[in-house]
Amino acid sequence: MLPHLDAAYRFARWLAGAGAGSGDADDIVQDAFLRAFRAFDSLRGGDVKAWLFTIVRNCHATAVQQRQRRGAVPLAEEHLETMRPVVEDAATDPESVTAAAEERRTLARLVSALPEEHREVLLLREMEDMSYREIAQVTQVPIGTVMSRLARARATLRGKWLEQSAGEPRAVR
Amino acid sequence: MQCAEALRVQAYFDGEVDALAALDVERHAEHCPECRVLLEELTATRARMRSQLEFPGAPAQLRTSIQRLLDAETGAARRAAPRARFGWSGLPLWLGGFAAAGAALSAAVLLFLVAPAATGPLLDDLVSAHVRSLMPLHLTDVVSTDRHTVKPWFAGQADVSPVVADFADQGYRLVGGRADYFDHQRVAAVVYQHGAHIINVFAFASGRQPLPQYTSRSGYHIACWKLGNLQYCAISDTGWDELQALTRLLRAAGSADLPRQ
Repeated sequence: MLPHLDAAYRFARWLAGAGAGSGDADDIVQDAFLRAFRAFDSLRGGDVKAWLFTIVRNCHATAVQQRQRRGAVPLAEEHLETMRPVVEDAATDPESVTAAAEERRTLARLVSALPEEHREVLLLREMEDMSYREIAQVTQVPIGTVMSRLARARATLRGKWLEQSAGEPRAVR
Repeated sequence: MQCAEALRVQAYFDGEVDALAALDVERHAEHCPECRVLLEELTATRARMRSQLEFPGAPAQLRTSIQRLLDAETGAARRAAPRARFGWSGLPLWLGGFAAAGAALSAAVLLFLVAPAATGPLLDDLVSAHVRSLMPLHLTDVVSTDRHTVKPWFAGQADVSPVVADFADQGYRLVGGRADYFDHQRVAAVVYQHGAHIINVFAFASGRQPLPQYTSRSGYHIACWKLGNLQYCAISDTGWDELQALTRLLRAAGSADLPRQ
């Protein structure tokens, strides 16, 4: 019954993925919902989802600062492992199952390797289907910046993907 | 590698342009192989991300703990609420109506049901109209630096006849005019340029809802004022000082036009 919780969690997972272990997303989302609840009176119209995402993003930033102060840096490998999508593949041929899983892992790795400011814009657009204006609100930059970051994120991802595919003869473009 | 139209093609792909601009982009892509390839790539990247980056929803455990947290929060708001009380019965009075509607309803749901403040949509419309105007070829319907061309043009296009003046000497060049539509009326937009910044000044019949004199939305500054029975809203990404300077000029020019009392 908590609206946008799944989306908020998904967003937090990707934000936290840049340098966190699992469990961080839970804390961020929990913190964000509590803050949203307390600040709800101050919401004056506008887009609730974008507003909530803004809070999630701020909570993430706070968590990162605190972690840096503590000096804890999680292992990259560990976070890549948690980033693995869990969608089951319908294909039964073991060969193609492995290839598809491999492709997923590759994509997840490439997306999480994008600079954070590019990654968040790309994910908000492609995964959350947010408008430029909503993305501008969440990331607190002008719409023009959203547009250029989005273009660069897409171009980088595309380029890295092609590079990757060229390196692996079996992978289909 | 990029055609100059690339950002516009991207905006088209993302559904951020209106029908006319979309037509433009489509025509352009017919003749520009680069942009055709770009469109294919955008489609492919989106398809790949959407099919391969699915993630599970929030774990049930997280859901439960947030629920509990928010219940405790509403309980605390009632000060003396007994600990053992069941979730929704601990809601404050103003939530009561909804609580009656469904026993499972959490306080948090209400977070997302409250109607936006009255001026929100109008200000959103302003920002949208401004952003739309910044898309290539959308800024002006009548291009002129002469107020005697711009002002009469509105007579056939908008429901109101706004103050139009050129303040080139003060740094605000009149670029032209445009008709827009929101708040159920045809709205006049007078476009000024200050340095590299575009300023849209919207004019429409003032409604009942009072607009804030100065506010910001999505990173844009908005200044609103009334003159006669017209509501004016200037919006731009300039600094406050620049926007206010234009506001002052326009108010002065407008007051001079009003019939003497």
